[in-house]
Amino acid sequence: MTSTNLTTGKHVVVTDFDGGEGILVDLNTKRYYQLNETAMIVWRGLEQGKSIGEIVADFMSSYEVEPDRATLSVQRLLDSFQIYKLVSAK
Amino acid sequence: MARIDLKGWMPVDAVVVDGRPGLSWMDMTGADFAEPFFQQTVDRVRAEHPEGEERFTEFDTLVQLEKTFDSVAPTGFIFHSSRCGSTLLANACRAITGSIVLSEPPAVDKVIARFVTDVDEHGTKEKLYSVFLRAIVKALGQRRTGDERRLFVKFACCSVAQIERIRRIWPNVPWVLLYRDPVETIVSNVQNLPAWLLDEDRRVLATITGTSIGAVAAMTIEELCARAIGSFYRTAHLVANDRALLLNYSQLSVAEIAKVMQFFGVKPAATEMEIIDRQSQTYSKSLAATRPFVADAAAKQRAASDRVREMADRWAGEPYRLLEQKRLEIQPS
Repeated sequence: MTSTNLTTGKHVVVTDFDGGEGILVDLNTKRYYQLNETAMIVWRGLEQGKSIGEIVADFMSSYEVEPDRATLSVQRLLDSFQIYKLVSAK
Repeated sequence: MARIDLKGWMPVDAVVVDGRPGLSWMDMTGADFAEPFFQQTVDRVRAEHPEGEERFTEFDTLVQLEKTFDSVAPTGFIFHSSRCGSTLLANACRAITGSIVLSEPPAVDKVIARFVTDVDEHGTKEKLYSVFLRAIVKALGQRRTGDERRLFVKFACCSVAQIERIRRIWPNVPWVLLYRDPVETIVSNVQNLPAWLLDEDRRVLATITGTSIGAVAAMTIEELCARAIGSFYRTAHLVANDRALLLNYSQLSVAEIAKVMQFFGVKPAATEMEIIDRQSQTYSKSLAATRPFVADAAAKQRAASDRVREMADRWAGEPYRLLEQKRLEIQPS
């Protein structure tokens, strides 16, 4: 399984809200990010050190979606987390 | 990331410092929330410890700390339409062993106000303030002796307008709404003007009354109060469900208070009921609890001016009638 090579930033705090949604707080920038249920699945997967394949599997167990599309969505979310410096390389 | 140590500290106010919104924290170690209002406890602690330090943090610190608090989960919420016996009920909750009663803590009420005063089109801020509100209650509900088992929160009257949002945060927490005849409520507020009617930031009242800041500024106190309480009745009528108990001031008695406790899942011991009985004979907002309680419904009715009656009838009469009807339908006595 391909590793994400990413880990959630120590400077980021996550809090659950409204069932599956969440809020991320970047303690460095004081910026807040609202995560929908999909993004929270990816974030939780990163926290647990899961591989991309495992996160995609989590994704597919929650939503009816083709593997390719699920992989693309997960990758896009990982890219976004990197762009906003919410994750770092392991 | 260094963790800030605020063990024993509590957010006593929501403030803005140098343009940064956040919380003012005070060391409340050992403080007993014995006073009828949270702010009175804060004032006492300040007076007793004038050297006491206070700290400002932005909200991100609160979110960071939320998971570290050893807190009691909410047992019951008290909402009210002002001057209708809610302080008596909060005091009764205080008589229950192992209870923490948060009576209108400013940090809670000010964050709830931000649901109205700081909004964005995507609703992100609403979620953010919901997270902050949950965390503030958790911070204020921290165990201080280790024996606390119950947490009651009494919200300020304007928070009635936000019951729906509050319910989304704590969907399973039972809540009671106390209300009173509109004429008596308006007379009481006009005789002794409360801060919420004098709030210079009129955005909250504009939202509650469904008008504008300018319109609120132009209203007489009687009209403003009538429209606000009419809105509270209407909201309560709309949102009351099986987790809600409606209680009219005219029903208030020790027996009814016991029923509220039961509704909250609490069975008071005989000694606790004795305390509640004693409390009910004194004026609930008195710090010394020595001023005797005097039933004043008839006196308030006699004191009502024609303008009060007209405003009550025009803006609050119908929603009050509907709320009463709902109470009698869902909670027959």
